[in-house]
Amino acid sequence: MNTILSLIRPRVLSSVNSLRQGNKKNNWARISMFGTIGLVFWIGIFVIAYRVLSYFHNVQDFGDILAMKFLSMIIIIFFTMILFSNIVNCLTHLYLSQDLSLLHSLPVSSKDIFFSRWIISTFDSSWMILAFSIPIFLSYGLIYKTGILYYVIFPMEMIFMCMIASSFSGMLVLFGAQILPAGRIRTVLIILGAVMVIGLIFVLRLTRPEQLVNPDSFASVVIYLNSMQTPDSPVLPTTWISDAIRNAIHNNTENYMLSMGLTVTFSLMLIFLNNFFAQKLYFNGFSKSQTTPQRLFSPLKYKGFDWENLLNFLPRETKAFAVKEIRTFFRDSSQWPQLFLMAALIVIYIYNFSVLPLNKSPIKTVYLQNLFSFLNIGLAALVLSAISARFVFPSVSMEGEAFWIVQAAPVRVKDFLWIKFFLYYIPMTILAEILIISSNMLLGVSHFMMILSSMTIFFLVPAIVGMGIGLGAVYADFKSENPTNVVTSFGGLLFMILSFGLTGMIIVLEAGPVYQIVMVNLRGHHLSMLQIIWVTLSFVIALFLCIFASIYPIHRGIKFLNLK
Amino acid sequence: MIKLSELTKDYGTTIAVNKLNLHVRSGEIYGFIGPNGAGKTTTIRMMGGILSPTSGSIFIGGLDMAKNPVAGKKMIGFVPDRPFLYQKLTGMEFLKFSADLYNVNPDSFEQKAKNLLQQFALWDWADELIEAYSHGMKQRLIIAAALLHDPKILIIDEPMVGLDPEAVHMVKDIFKELAAHKTTIFISTHTLSIAEDLCHRIGLIHKGSLLAEGNLEELKRIAKLGEARLEEVFLTIIKENTFI
Repeated sequence: MNTILSLIRPRVLSSVNSLRQGNKKNNWARISMFGTIGLVFWIGIFVIAYRVLSYFHNVQDFGDILAMKFLSMIIIIFFTMILFSNIVNCLTHLYLSQDLSLLHSLPVSSKDIFFSRWIISTFDSSWMILAFSIPIFLSYGLIYKTGILYYVIFPMEMIFMCMIASSFSGMLVLFGAQILPAGRIRTVLIILGAVMVIGLIFVLRLTRPEQLVNPDSFASVVIYLNSMQTPDSPVLPTTWISDAIRNAIHNNTENYMLSMGLTVTFSLMLIFLNNFFAQKLYFNGFSKSQTTPQRLFSPLKYKGFDWENLLNFLPRETKAFAVKEIRTFFRDSSQWPQLFLMAALIVIYIYNFSVLPLNKSPIKTVYLQNLFSFLNIGLAALVLSAISARFVFPSVSMEGEAFWIVQAAPVRVKDFLWIKFFLYYIPMTILAEILIISSNMLLGVSHFMMILSSMTIFFLVPAIVGMGIGLGAVYADFKSENPTNVVTSFGGLLFMILSFGLTGMIIVLEAGPVYQIVMVNLRGHHLSMLQIIWVTLSFVIALFLCIFASIYPIHRGIKFLNLK
Repeated sequence: MIKLSELTKDYGTTIAVNKLNLHVRSGEIYGFIGPNGAGKTTTIRMMGGILSPTSGSIFIGGLDMAKNPVAGKKMIGFVPDRPFLYQKLTGMEFLKFSADLYNVNPDSFEQKAKNLLQQFALWDWADELIEAYSHGMKQRLIIAAALLHDPKILIIDEPMVGLDPEAVHMVKDIFKELAAHKTTIFISTHTLSIAEDLCHRIGLIHKGSLLAEGNLEELKRIAKLGEARLEEVFLTIIKENTFI
């Protein structure tokens, strides 16, 4: 056990030292920012859970069934999330981390290395779920006025749930690494995970939950509610966990002891099995993961066609960067699921507009069309901000330790950042305009709204991309093992806040003038001189803000990288 | 060809390079030696345009790197101490990327790249992703890329790390041949035998300052040693902190 603790110590010390060293002011700013956001989410979850459960509690007959079904659904979701996230974490911690060669050269058993890494991986994949499960269980406790024992049972059950899920994933990874090298398993899993999430999104969306408020579909809802009373399978650990918590909620002492006992003994048995298999299998799998990686897909080559030639219109060094960027981006398998998710997001986004029941609304359609079209600008900008946070913001950090190549090359940092800007600006503009124009067409908006929204998004995209590149350069992390994680850093969060803030400001600046123009047009009047000045001033300020946001962050980024 | 004037890098807590003055002539192989943490890599990174100096100047081929960094870098072939590359490009694609940045004639690129890859025994790996290369192969690829645009100046940090004896021998021959054709080579190394074999002049840096400079004979005189290897000269000068 001492060896395992010694192997965990570097991780703990690194975390402590990262808080101690460097710019303390910046550290505290980061901690307070993340802390505040975390607290807001925590309170938000509590408020929502409390309201939903209060509502369920007040529904006669079905209320308790719904609340308990909700409980078992939460347990299943948490269990699956920990299981999946721990598989990916275990693969990284057990087979792909850079320090593993050092650890395996030390006079410690591979079983101890396995357990130290498994504990770290379990912690990494569980702590957030545990933290954010508290407000939900607290709501149950308050609504059902449970005894004190419930507050002992649910955290224990949650901890054992994490142990069971992570033991399963540890075992799956141990066996998986015998068949395929760990790097390849991660790629396959990430792709499978993305496909599953996309499938789930499509299924949820295509079932059209908005139909639930349609009185015609009430009969099927009753059938659904009846089906909810069927008990879950008694052989699943998630059933024991939900049973233990449910019995604790209802103060049913005898029954929760049985479920609790099952959970505890099962988790201990799994740990024992992990111990057994780790001794036999771990080192063999690790050795296998050290083999030379091979390309998952061999390059496609067509006679006489080279996609690079499509970029021949670019200056030579710009083309070189563009080709490099495109190649490294598409060959990085960790980017693929994000692309799939983005594609799914766009399809759902456009689909949502196609099923809006505008005609059934008591409000006049023309108002709604214009209102939705206007709000659509903000929504599309928020979607683009999220996409930029994932792809544009980390793009400078993605250069990684190879950034010396750019620094040593006869290219100015200024050119490098502007090349990056245009590489993302063009596809993002195309994407944004597709979202805006297609949704406007589905809404059947006026020409004025079509032009306004296309123009607004046309100027908002460079602002978002400019902030992504600029802040991405200021907060670049060239040493990270996974540069895409910079999005969760202080800089990434700052980018999201500024990007959302800018979108909000543009919407606020344009809302009044747009309302005036639409109303004046509807009434067949003309704008007064004062209104014209107001409208012009609002649009000019909005334009200035967009131009400023496009240029200034990049200027800061150039300055920062030049000083490095 | 290379002139460093009062070059200083202050990291805030340490002065890595302290008012360093150096002059390397055209066609000269200059060895830059010193103990760990002496300031070799910091100096080299400043010369390569990767790090900005706190004060002082760097002249490359007569151009001030602070004023004309792009033109200066075009003359340089830079090889860092650790071979970090774009893992998801193939060797050939990386050479093409370098060729585009250094404006190598597109008509002659393919032949040149092929020759270099063959010379560095990487031709069979040309279409493999760099992530599959060994440390030594990456190092050879970086040296090949640095030679692609026929640089007037080669700046190399620890050139032989990770290379097998055959590759070391080959690289040494290439450097000698380049120097014979008036290419200036600035090498930082810990391997004193390489400095001894290869360099026309050697500069010894310690705690950010140049302690001694000259050819092997001159260094022996400074160290007040008769017949001695560079290793003894190095240790004596470091121990006595002899200044030029």
